[in-house]
This record gives sequence, C-alpha cells and structure tokens, in this order.
Amino acid sequence: MKRKAVTIQALLCAAALSACGSRTGKDVTPPDGKLDGCTLRFSWWGGDDRHEATLNALELWETLHPEIVIVPEYGGWDGWTEKVTAQMKGGTAPDVMQINYDWLISMSPDGTGFYDLETIPGYPDISGFDSEVLSFGRAGGRLNAVPVSISGRGLFYNSLVYDRLGASYPSTWEELFELGDRFSGSGAYPLDLDIQSGGTAWYLAVVYVQQQTGRQFITMDGHLGFTTEDLRAVLDFYKELEERHVIRTIQTRTDEDGSAALYQSPEFISGKVAGVLEWGSSVGKYEMVLPDGALEAGPLLTDGEHTGGWMVKPSLMYAVSAGTEYPDEAAAFIDFLLNNGDCAEMLGTTRGIPSSSFARERLENTGRLNGLANDCAGLLDSVDTVTISPYMELPRMKEYYNDAIESVSYGTADTASAAEALYSSLTEYLEKIRR
Amino acid sequence: MKTKTCNNPVGTGKYTGLLLISPFIAGFLLFTAYPFFASLVLGMTETAGGELRFAGTDTFKTMLRDSGFRKAVGVTVKYTLILVPLKLAVSLFAALLLNMGIRGIGVYRTVFYIPSILGSSLAAVIMWQYLFTSDGLADQLLGLAGLPHISWYGDGRYALWMIILLRLWEFGSAMILFLNALRDIPAEYYEAVKVDGCGSIRAFFTITLPLLRNAIFLNLILQTIAAMQEFSAPYMITGGGPMKSTETVGMLIYNEMFRFGDISMANAVSWGLFMLIASAVIILFRLTGGMKEEM
Repeated sequence: MKRKAVTIQALLCAAALSACGSRTGKDVTPPDGKLDGCTLRFSWWGGDDRHEATLNALELWETLHPEIVIVPEYGGWDGWTEKVTAQMKGGTAPDVMQINYDWLISMSPDGTGFYDLETIPGYPDISGFDSEVLSFGRAGGRLNAVPVSISGRGLFYNSLVYDRLGASYPSTWEELFELGDRFSGSGAYPLDLDIQSGGTAWYLAVVYVQQQTGRQFITMDGHLGFTTEDLRAVLDFYKELEERHVIRTIQTRTDEDGSAALYQSPEFISGKVAGVLEWGSSVGKYEMVLPDGALEAGPLLTDGEHTGGWMVKPSLMYAVSAGTEYPDEAAAFIDFLLNNGDCAEMLGTTRGIPSSSFARERLENTGRLNGLANDCAGLLDSVDTVTISPYMELPRMKEYYNDAIESVSYGTADTASAAEALYSSLTEYLEKIRR
Repeated sequence: MKTKTCNNPVGTGKYTGLLLISPFIAGFLLFTAYPFFASLVLGMTETAGGELRFAGTDTFKTMLRDSGFRKAVGVTVKYTLILVPLKLAVSLFAALLLNMGIRGIGVYRTVFYIPSILGSSLAAVIMWQYLFTSDGLADQLLGLAGLPHISWYGDGRYALWMIILLRLWEFGSAMILFLNALRDIPAEYYEAVKVDGCGSIRAFFTITLPLLRNAIFLNLILQTIAAMQEFSAPYMITGGGPMKSTETVGMLIYNEMFRFGDISMANAVSWGLFMLIASAVIILFRLTGGMKEEM
C-alpha cells in the first residue's frame, strides 16, 4: 500500500514538473527555406495610433503575400504582460510577437524561450541594424528578437494649458519645482507621474539621482548601483514633487482617475494635468486625445551643469515564438515590418524612430520622420544617455519601487526607512534572479 | 394491449453504471484531481535560472514569512467577514419582499437578478468609476446631504467597501435560494400563529428563520467560499490598491503567477488559500452544526 502511494506521488511529481518545466528540449520546427501558405498570429500592444497603422500595414502584407494570412491580436499595455506570460507558459503564444525589453530575462533567460532568428536562412534581413542595437535582442547567445527602435522617455506638455497660464516648459529641475507654485493657484498640475503600469514616478526620480551622482541605478548585469542614500534621495525627490504641487499625490490621482489610464482620464483630457513623462514611441495615444498640435515635447531636465541620467532602451522588439510551426514565414513577416519601405511609411513613428536603416531612410526621404517621437529622439540625442538595464523593468522590481513610493506618499513610512527596506528587497531579489 | 418496453441502449451489465459516469470521472481526474495535486508538487519547487528545482517546504515557509501574503490573508478575511453577513441579510430581505405575493413578481425577480449576471464585467467597472471617482455620483450625493467627500479609490479604508458594495449588489443567487426555501414553508403555520395573536415580526423569528436554517447554512457556506476566492472585482476596479488594501489572496495568486512568473509561489499561495477556505468551512460546520433534516 505504502509502495503504491509512493509510486503515485512520484508519478504526480514527474508529471507536474514536466508540465511546467523549461522550454529546453522542446521540439522546435526547423526552417525549410521557403514560404508556404499558412496562417500566422501576430500580437502587439499599443494605443489607437499604433493599432490603426499596424492594421493598415497588415493589409499591405496581404496584397504582397495573400497565401500567408496574418491574424492580429492587439490591445492596451495594461495586463498585456500577464496575457503573454500565460500564453507562453501555456504553449499558446502567437507566432510573431511584439515583446518588451525585460521579457528576454523573464521569458527566455537561456535564449530558448523564443526562436533563434539567426537559424532562419534569409530572413529577417538584419544588415540595416547596428550590431550594438541587435545585441539587445540576444539571450544566451541566440538572436531572440530584433529591436524595432531605441527609445527613451521624454517630457510632453499640453501647450494650451501652459499658454493659458503664461508658463514656459522647464529646462532645469528647479524650474520644474517652481512650476508647481505657479500652477497651484489654478488647480492644475504641470506634470503627472504614476505608479501603475507606467511607473513614471520612479523613472523620473531615478533620472534625477543618476544625473546627480553619475551612478547607474541598476547595471546591465543586474547589480544594484545605488546605495541606500541614493534610494533615499530618489524618494525625497518624489516626495518634494508632491509637496510642491508639481504632481498629484497618489491618493488624489487614484481618487480622480480610478482605474483609468492617464490618457483616458478626464483630468488629462480637460487639461487639469498638463504634462506627462512618456516613451517617444508611445506618446501618440496622449497626442490623439488632445486638440491637434496641443501636445509638445519639452526639454530634458538638467541641473544646469550635468545632462546625464536620462535613459534609453530598445522600446519594442519583434520575436518569433519558439513553438511556431512556420519559422520561415514568421521571419519573413518580421522582415516586412522592419525593412519594407511602404510598410515603414504606413507605420511611421508609431513604434518610435526605426532602428532599421532601410525604414529610417524611407521615412527621411518622404519627410515622415517628424512628430513627437522624432522630437523626443532628438532631445535624447542631445544629452548623455544611459541604457536601461533590463533588470530595472522586471515586474517584481517595479512592485518594490511602487511599494516604497506609495508608503512615502501616504506617509506610512519616512524616506529613510522606506529606502532601507527597498535596498534590502532589491539586493535580495537581484541576487536570486542572477543565480 | 401492447406493452411498451424501454431498453437501455448501453445494457444493464455489471459495469454499466461505471461506464455512464466515466466521462465525469475522467473530467474530474484530469481537470480537478490532477491540477490539485500537481499544484502541491509545484509549490514544493523553486525557480532558479529558468528551471524548476525541488525545494521541499521552502516556498511555503517563505510564503508564511512574507508580509504580502499575510496582508492578503487579512484583507480576504476582513472582506469575507463584512460581505457574507451583509449579503445574507440583503438577499433574505429581498426574498421576503418577493414572497409577499405581489403582482409581477417574475419581473422583480429578474430585475433583482440582473446585477449577478453583470458580475465584475467592464460595464460594472465603468459604472463604479462613474459612481465613486471624485465628483462621481456618490460624491455628489454626499455633498447634497452635507457630508464630506470620501476618497473611495484613494483611501484604503473605503476602497474595500467599493468591492463589498459591488458584490453586495449581486445578491440574486442567494436571494433565489431563500425564495425557494420560503415557498416551502406551509402557509398553515402562519395562519395558526396569527390565530394565537402572533405578529409578523414574531412569526418571522419563530417560524420563518428556524425553517430557513438549511437555506441560511447553504448560503453561508457558498458565499463564504466565493468571498474567500474573490479575484475579479478588486482586479478590475482597484488593482489591489491603494497600499494593497484590496489585494485578496486570489489576486496575489494571479500576480505571482502571471505578473511575476513565480510558478512555485503562486501554487504555494493557492494551497494557502485552500487551507484557509477549508478551515473556514470546518469552523462554520462546527459552529452551526451543519444542515439538519427538515421535519
């Protein structure tokens, strides 16, 4: 009887572990070097501008390759990571995916989570990409993804509100704080920062401290570059933004917006909140809800002496599912999205300034390399940027930042104790991840 | 006269019964028993370098030490303790109203049941947003009554009440159970006590409530289990905030699994929730003595 129980237990253990084990050893369909008729699923997240442009590009693809049908799956960013995580773990991931930078660490730490694109003959053509840019898409030595663009967050302001209040866009941190005083009388706010999926509150405060100290928050190999004092400075900076009416407190923000994203909230659309920190590649969704030309890019803030601290990263990448049955066709489709001139024109800068030289040249030649994404890229080019460590964007890390900021904002902890708790959580987690 | 005989198409052999219930047994083994035990095994692993390794009870110990888990348990218990009695009271009250023999009872019953169908759908989320954000309807009504503004979304003390109100509004299924039980009470009982000079309130406490014992117990168990498994309402409405004041154990499981990709912890927390629910049910059985056969 006992032996039977042990056998059943062992079988269950084996079955459970095999069901959820690593993808290593999973059957990968080898490329056959030709394009056959098939149906591919393609998923991406974004705002309406990106959805519209991508759907137009898919129509163009259909005219070029009617035998390869693309089924689009798209939505907003909120909850998208969770959706893709479930698909990846359940073996139902789309053939072609727009992926985020940190997903390589969380979904393909050894490079087997996505298809190795370099094993597919001919496609995608990566000759138009800088080798350093391509290196962001490598995991475990395999080319898992191709970066669509390199992007950073910039500051964008509602010019109508700023004009009405006679305010200028700030260029230094001190000017930003002074704007809080100017705006407080009107009930409006010069900027908005969040602790939801965007996590802009932590981001801007890190930029500030990186600029002051010259240290990188988290290194590319996943070590914490900040000391406890640096983390405290981050939280002090954030608290001061709230206290000086530069941004809404978390309680006010949550109370006013509920669960709505900022670009869908009446506060942003009506101009009560007149500024946003956003990726150049994603700012279109904010632009669309305001009157034409109302949203403008502002200078990247400095202390008047240093210009560093601002960050860039591959904004998005295209990857092929490791379990796809059509690697050649999927790679050809990625090639179309990245390098096809007509497609580049249709997509414009809805995913940032293209990293592919072919796409970029086409946009330049047709005068379409403009708009807020381009303004943001230009501003980032003018300062000393650092590349964001993929470890910085891991969801668990974001949870730690947000907990610390929330505790400081609600006054349940002072900045010193919140910084200490955060330091300990971050170092412990990074050590576990690196193992 | 010709007699009709009904032949069993699968025969009447020794294993016919087993054959007939085999689809259920197969489904139960595959979709309930297997995941149930597999989750225990997965809870005994840890993720390192993308691989799962056997870790004994380490993940469970980590879970018990984790302040996030303890807070989620606290939120879940508080939510259950507030919601379940309120919901039973509201649904019983609605059932009593509908049992009064008023005209068009079917329409009222349907209307009262509609919120239960909506659940925590997008429509409910948008409506709650309209009702409870600052300057929302709730705030305006408070203003009209001369009461101060309440920070429903932004203050942890009130955020949980938003979730409770949503679920309280969905009293339809509990109400139907009560209504059916009320219909089973013979009218003669009420007529007899009326002759003895008993008022309606006393009749409620001496006849209705004791005879609803089983329905109350059934609703109590079902609603307690449902409340302890709460996930979708806080996920959709508050995202677990502010300050994790609405993060239930159900939400924690989801976050561990799909946001943080920690399979081991998600499964350990699932077992934590199972133990919590099992304990609650055992306590309720002990306290109430379970269901009794009706006389």
